[in-house]
Order: sequence, then structure tokens, then C-alpha cells
Amino acid sequence: MKRFFAVFLGILTAIGGFVDIGDLVANSQTGARFGMNLAWAVVLGVIGIVVYAEMCGRVAAVAGRPVFDLVRERLGPRAGLANLIASFFINFLTLTAEVAGVAIALSLASSVSYLLLIPFVAFLVWLVIWRMPFETMERVFGLLGLCLLVFAVTVWKVGPDWGGLFHTASHPQVPAGETGFTYVYFAIALFGAAMTPYEVFFFSSGAVEEHWTERDLATNRANVLIGFPLGGLLSLAIMASADLILGPAGIDVGQLSQVALPVASVLGRVGLAVVLVGLFAATFGAALETALSAGYIISQYMGWMWGKYVRPRQASRFHLVVLLSIGAAMIFGLTRVDPVKVTEYSIVLSAAALPLTYFPILVIANDPSYMGDKTNGRFLNAIASIYLVILIVVSIITIPLLIITKGGSG
Amino acid sequence: MRPRAMTKAALAVCGACSLASCVAHPVGPARTYSTYEGKAVTSATAAQSSVATVQLVASTAAAGKAFGPYTVVSVSEQEEGLSAVEGTFASIQPPDRRADALRDELGAILTSAVDHIAEVRIAARRGDLDDLDRVAAPLRADAAALDAFVARHG
Repeated sequence: MKRFFAVFLGILTAIGGFVDIGDLVANSQTGARFGMNLAWAVVLGVIGIVVYAEMCGRVAAVAGRPVFDLVRERLGPRAGLANLIASFFINFLTLTAEVAGVAIALSLASSVSYLLLIPFVAFLVWLVIWRMPFETMERVFGLLGLCLLVFAVTVWKVGPDWGGLFHTASHPQVPAGETGFTYVYFAIALFGAAMTPYEVFFFSSGAVEEHWTERDLATNRANVLIGFPLGGLLSLAIMASADLILGPAGIDVGQLSQVALPVASVLGRVGLAVVLVGLFAATFGAALETALSAGYIISQYMGWMWGKYVRPRQASRFHLVVLLSIGAAMIFGLTRVDPVKVTEYSIVLSAAALPLTYFPILVIANDPSYMGDKTNGRFLNAIASIYLVILIVVSIITIPLLIITKGGSG
Repeated sequence: MRPRAMTKAALAVCGACSLASCVAHPVGPARTYSTYEGKAVTSATAAQSSVATVQLVASTAAAGKAFGPYTVVSVSEQEEGLSAVEGTFASIQPPDRRADALRDELGAILTSAVDHIAEVRIAARRGDLDDLDRVAAPLRADAAALDAFVARHG
């Protein structure tokens, strides 16, 4: 019973922790602008993250080593360094966006300028990382993130034409007024938001932090195979609420406050309060994950002691990197850089760098010297290989599309 | 690609992208009327979204469905965004006399919309949420003017 409860809690945490500022912005933007015509990109991204996160969790449980440790070993120090620079930069943009996102969520509840709140948020992120046990931290913010289910309630309360929504999602087309380029650009944004590299850095390092062994493979599968797809449904609910409320009003999402507007207009103050808690939890949880990921990837590349499972004195350089990353994100956020723009760029650039992260995972998950008899099966390899091709195509076309569409604006 | 070249490429991409991400509203020159008209339509489209957002926020707050802080911040963000659009459009050099007329036409609509959004923000800050629908009513004319502008020039 205790085991079942632990797995159930893990699934709930996975659902609540699935959505971050990238998913919130990308799903709301595309819902308002393209309706459900890009729902397939969410589904594609969710299947991809399920396939590769399962591999990461399995590698961490069986080999006891996280992703970036193995990236350096497999790619060598120089190619590993190129990977580290790209991954760290994208992770830094995401951390900045998440910290600003938390500040905006607090600002929406207090009307204090988000710029004044950014230093407070940065301190809070560092304090939680420093003081709170890893598992508690993961559970608290993952479970609070379930407040975002209020988007699903909003869609249900609107009472849409379900057949029409499903038909649009299953028969996608480029809406009038949009070009094929912007359509593909936003598809990549959704795909990148679902498959953000920090998710696997954190997931695999977290597995090591929690001392996973082969006995935890069932928990890994449950979290990934049940939790992530349900998190994907949450993303689709955000998209549908924007499609139903913001799209018809002619609203183009450029602020986090607009993401919450469908909930407020349909469910009122209670719904608004719940969604603001959800926005806070989702962005705060992701800020913790990205700040830790900054420490994880650098420490794992450099071969330093890392993680919260060892005493801070033993992993001082890891904690220093985390602290400096939070400080740098705070300073970047205070320059009045547009948090939503930073989010957009971080998820699109994530898409451009995806093969750097996912290719080594696929190689290692097939290596019996690491995995023993727990290597990938044929079916999984077939899907993962198809995804690798998709990832390479996406990485090639992302930057040209970013330029052609002027960041999706036209 | 050799590892050192890969590192340099990664650094170059990171640098270019960090610069790009800092630029929220890139303004290019408009050397012909049609380019200027295209920029005017882009500005008007952005303004349509801001006006529509404030209208929805105002009606939501007036119906007792939104808190004061959320309403104030949401309206202020749109006011700031629309002011930026207005400023950006005003900074583009009109290439000829036809473009001057276009500039005057859209400039007047944007100024009116910014003023009306400011009135909504002031009322929201004073806590007059119940009255926000009435205060936001002039935005309907702004929205109609923007729709007509985009339809004519889009």
C-alpha cells in the first residue's frame, strides 16, 4: 500500500511538474492564434519526452549515472564542452524566464512591480534549494502545480463543441492569415517546450539524488508513462482555453497575465486565485529545476561532487554554480528584458539544441556495458530513432525559421 | 565538424541569440510606402490585441470575477505594451506624403486607445472595478477603428 501511494504521489507530482513557463506561454499563444490546429505538436513532444525520459530514468537507475556525466564520457571533453555551453546558455535563459515568471505571478496577486519582486524570488529559490530536502521540494511544487488543472475545468465549464475541437486537432491546417512558416515555427516552439533539455538533466540527476536502483524502474515507468501524458493533457487544456476565450476576442498572448485570463473570465475569483497559485508553483518548481540543472551539468562535466544528497561542504562548487546562476538570472531579469520573449527564445533554441542532449542518451541506453540486460528493446529503439531524425530536422530548420518569421511575428 | 569548431559555433550561436533575445521590438527602415503600410498594419494588429485584452479584463472585473491587483497589473501591462507600439511606429520615418497621412491616421487611433486604456487603469487603481465596463466603453470605438484600418490596409 505504501509503495502504491509512493507511485501515485510520483505520478501526481509528474503531472503538476510537467508544465513550466514555456508550456504556459507556448500553449496559450498557439491556442489563441492557431486554435487546436497545433495540438499534434504537443502530442509529438509528449511522446518524445516520454520515450527519452524513460531512458534517462532507466540509465540513472541501472548505471547510477546522470545524463551529462555520460554525455562527456561519450562525446569526449571538447564536443562535450560545446554541448555544455549550448545547454547551459539555454538553461540560463529558461531560468531567467522562470524567475521572472514567479515574480509576475506574485505581482498579479499583489500589484507590486515584478521587477521589485525578482530579487526576493531569486533569494527564495536559492533558500529552498539550500534548505529543503530534494524529495520534499519536488513533491510540494509538483503537487501545487496541479492547481493548473483549473484550465481543464475552464474548458469543461465553457461547454465547447467537443467534436469540433477534436476535429480541428485531428485535421490540422494553417489558419487564414497565417503562413506555413509561422505555423511550423510555433509547432517547433510547442515541441521544444515539451522536450526542453533541462527536464532530462533534472530527471536523471534527480533519480541519482533519490538513490534509484533497478527496483525503482516501475516507479520510473509509472511517472513517465502515466504522469507525463496526463501533463500533456494539461498543456492541451491550456491551449483549448485560449482557443475558446482569447482567440475569438482577437487576443494575441504576449504577457503571462493573459494566460490566466480565460480562467478568470469563466470561473471568476476562485478560479483566478487557483490559477495564480498554479502559475506560481509551476514557475517556481521549474526555477528550482533549472537552477539545479545549471549546477548539475557543469559539475557533472567537470567531474565535481554534486547534488543535494551530499553535504554542501562536499559539493561546494556545485552550490556555488547554482548560486551564481540564480544571481545572473536575477540580474538579467532586472534589465527589463521581456520575460515572455526570453521564454519564446529559450524554447525555440532548446529545439535547435535537442540532438546534442538526446543522441548520447540513446547511445548509452543501448550499451550493455552500462545497462546490462536493461538495454532498449527493438520497438523502443525504432521510436527513439524516428525521434532522433525529427530532432535533427527540427534543429536544422529552427534558426532559419526564427529569422524568416521574425520570432513568430509574421 | 571538429570539436574546437563546434565550441566556436556554439559560442557564436549563443552570442547572437542573446543579442536577439534582448531586442523586443526591432525597427527596420521603411523605404517605400508599401513597407511603411506593412509596418503600420503590424502595429495596428498589436494594438488590436491590447485593446481586446483590456476590454475582456474590464468586463471580467466588472462582473466581479477578477481581483483588483490582477486587473491593475493586466491593464498596466497592456498600456505599457501599446505605448511601446505607438512609440515604435512613431519612430519610423514615413517615406513620402501618402505615408504621412497614414502615420497621422494610425497615430490618432493609437493615441486615443492609449488614453482610454489609461482611464481604465486609473479607475482600476482607484478600486472602481464595478464601473470598469463603463470606463472601458470608449475602447469599442478604438477597436472598430483599428479593425477598419487593418481591413483597409492589410
